[in-house]
Amino acid sequence: MEIAVLLKQVPATESLIEIADGGTTIKTDGINWVMNPYDELAVEEALQIRAADGGTVTVFSLGPEKAVEALRTALAMGADTAVRIDPQGKPMDGLSTAKVLAGELKKGAFDLIIAGHRAVDDDNFQVGPAVAELMGIPHISMVIRQEVTDGRIRCTRTIDGGTLVLETALPALITTQRGLNEPRYASLPGIMKAKKKPIDTRALSETGTDPGEPMVRTIAMRLPPQRKGGRIIEGDSATAKAEALVKALREEAKVI
Amino acid sequence: MAQVIADRRDVDFVLHEQLNVGALSEHEKYAEFNKKTVDLIISEARNLAIKEILPTFKEGDEQGCRLENGQVSVPESFKRAYDLFVEGEWLAMPEDPEYGGQGMPRTISLAAADYFNGANYAFMMYPGLTHGAALLVEAFGTERQKKLFLKNMFTGKWTGTMLLTEPEAGSDVGNLTTSAVKNEDGTYSITGNKIFISAGEHDLVENIVHPVLARIEGAPAGTKGISLFLVPKYRVNEDGSLGEFNDVVCTGIEHKMGINGNATCSLTLGGKGQCVGELLGEANKGMRAMFLMMNEARLLVGMQGFCCASASFMNAVNYARERVQGKNLLQMMDPNAPSVPIIQHPDVRRMLISMKSYVEGMRSLLYYAGYLSDQVAVSDDEAEKARLQGMLDLLIPICKGYVTDKAFEVCSTGVQVYGGYGFIKEYPQEQLLRDCRITMIYEGTNGIQAMDLLGRKLGMNKGKPIMDLMVEIQKTIAQAKAIDNLKDYAARVEKALNRLGEIAMHLGATAMSPKVMSAFAFAHPFMEASGDVVTAWMLLWRGVIAATQLEKGAKKKDQAFYEGQLKSVQYFTQAVLPITMGKMDAIMNTCEAAVEITEDAFGGK
Repeated sequence: MEIAVLLKQVPATESLIEIADGGTTIKTDGINWVMNPYDELAVEEALQIRAADGGTVTVFSLGPEKAVEALRTALAMGADTAVRIDPQGKPMDGLSTAKVLAGELKKGAFDLIIAGHRAVDDDNFQVGPAVAELMGIPHISMVIRQEVTDGRIRCTRTIDGGTLVLETALPALITTQRGLNEPRYASLPGIMKAKKKPIDTRALSETGTDPGEPMVRTIAMRLPPQRKGGRIIEGDSATAKAEALVKALREEAKVI
Repeated sequence: MAQVIADRRDVDFVLHEQLNVGALSEHEKYAEFNKKTVDLIISEARNLAIKEILPTFKEGDEQGCRLENGQVSVPESFKRAYDLFVEGEWLAMPEDPEYGGQGMPRTISLAAADYFNGANYAFMMYPGLTHGAALLVEAFGTERQKKLFLKNMFTGKWTGTMLLTEPEAGSDVGNLTTSAVKNEDGTYSITGNKIFISAGEHDLVENIVHPVLARIEGAPAGTKGISLFLVPKYRVNEDGSLGEFNDVVCTGIEHKMGINGNATCSLTLGGKGQCVGELLGEANKGMRAMFLMMNEARLLVGMQGFCCASASFMNAVNYARERVQGKNLLQMMDPNAPSVPIIQHPDVRRMLISMKSYVEGMRSLLYYAGYLSDQVAVSDDEAEKARLQGMLDLLIPICKGYVTDKAFEVCSTGVQVYGGYGFIKEYPQEQLLRDCRITMIYEGTNGIQAMDLLGRKLGMNKGKPIMDLMVEIQKTIAQAKAIDNLKDYAARVEKALNRLGEIAMHLGATAMSPKVMSAFAFAHPFMEASGDVVTAWMLLWRGVIAATQLEKGAKKKDQAFYEGQLKSVQYFTQAVLPITMGKMDAIMNTCEAAVEITEDAFGGK
């Protein structure tokens, strides 16, 4: 099995996010960057399939120089090789990212492509399915269990309130959902081996893919509203307070 | 959420900017460890520490260990954390790869340990003691012993301990009574009682290897008659499989002030006459073996204490930024003024800058000790090796004694910053303070560390190590003097260093005079003064780097960090060193009251 994993480096959820001047991006200073948690599931699943069926695991990321850290973590977990496509500062949306990745994936002969179902930074949900569409291969999303036999993959995916079992022929693309596996930590020997594993860096301009201009433009970015403080119901007596509370619940909150 | 356990920027600063550990990779021995690899190691250690070890911190304290029918069970959450820790092969980072180590420079392993120990050092004692015990096997074991024990210990399949203390032999280890009688097959039958054995019995792994200090029948009294034995919980067959139970019985566990997740055991060896040990190293050379391991063990204890302080500081500074209480002092009279985060209050800032400067100085000092030992390992010049080793030996009592004393003070300040909440178990500050406290006692009390510094290390090699260290400190002072805004701080460090030289001469001479008892009554103050000066040196060294970077036009994201470095050295040299000068005056006075006072005059009878 030749397996490709798509991964993205995102701010760690512990990071304090602030909006940069201009209001359409975040401040990147002082942020701790990590591999997108759903992509960790993807790397782990790829490693488990490789352990069972053999083959190689190649991790792909479209991102700036810094993204190499997430690739190295994947190599330290046990992936074989890594490819980083440098966007050369060009703005990208979900679709243009998918175009570039699909272009590079077509250059290999992958039986299975695994991606997180979304990146936790901008929750776009698009790249995995769009890559499958652009490559003309089937895709199954939100997978919590999979089994590969005789050139086919059978997946259990989550749906609202239950699960669904789907099967398709390989090559295919699947996206991960929490519960698929428990990603391993990079071991110290894994880290040492990662150093010797190749990371192939390709500039966007050399890929032969023209992602075009982004079709989505960020107009403004806002932090979630601050939680408001509580309100103490005033009144002369317990009865008066209870009356005021019931009135507020009925007329303002409209919950009773 | 902000950073926890240790400030990554500060860890990276010491590794790369202060000690330039990447340069170690120029030596063949450490060729694998370039900067990128080091960064990945620290990131992954931090990741594992925060996600898997930190969650065991509170639970380990609350659950503690339980003893039932001679079996000790550790807190439930420790099992998963232990398995992940040893699967990742983090246990023997700096050791020989042939036996399951990773061959990593010690400096880097200390930085990784910074996160592991800061996450929960009561947990880390299980792998930590295993590492220490395995080092004894590596240093003194026969090829057969290494083959049977070493890899299983370095890989964490079995754990290790250290059986020194007995009810009447603690600080006075030469008083021990555990006996060893030689059997016909060359093994020894061991009989005795040991107490205060950390990780002495537990259910984390299938076997526990105890290095035991005991006296061979007929051997001389005192430390000269002590030998070291290897005593496993289950005997080990020649093919490596486990044999019968070796009559090492846990008769009790202590209920302690802190580190409750670690089982502190009383062990009875050979209660049924069935405990068999093999000699590790030569007969009657047990104490010498202990001494060889002492630097390692004491540096580890220094790290344990320090890591509590670092975690407490991270918590405190983050809490102070968020906790809103009281008005800004300048608006005290305005009833409509808004309440402000407590980090705006001068007294809270005083506490935070004190914590910050100690934590930074101690981190630099401990990593520097690791760095010295790495330099010893890569140097091929015997004189240089001796110089570096001498400075390391000299600094060890400071790394253990001074650092744990100050770490406890920092943890106490960390409780204070939280106010009433610092005293409450809902927050981690009180546990860090409790956990930290034992580090001042075990592995040689801090009183013993002070005596080691004054009685042994100071005069070692005719005082060459302290002279060498002073030369190093003077180099930093000279660099700092050339930088305008460090001049004042450099002058203060120089003054303190010179005064330290004087009191060292004075105390050294007093220790040779009839007033020897009074000299040793000032051993601890001397260790404290020495520690203050060394801390000031470390902060000045940091200041030189920071000032240089700011001068060069540091990146925007680094500016606050470097400015913070200048503030630490300013605080320490202007607000702490004057107190140190006073302490040194007191040492120079060598007041004899403590020695002269009669035991009756202490009162209370």
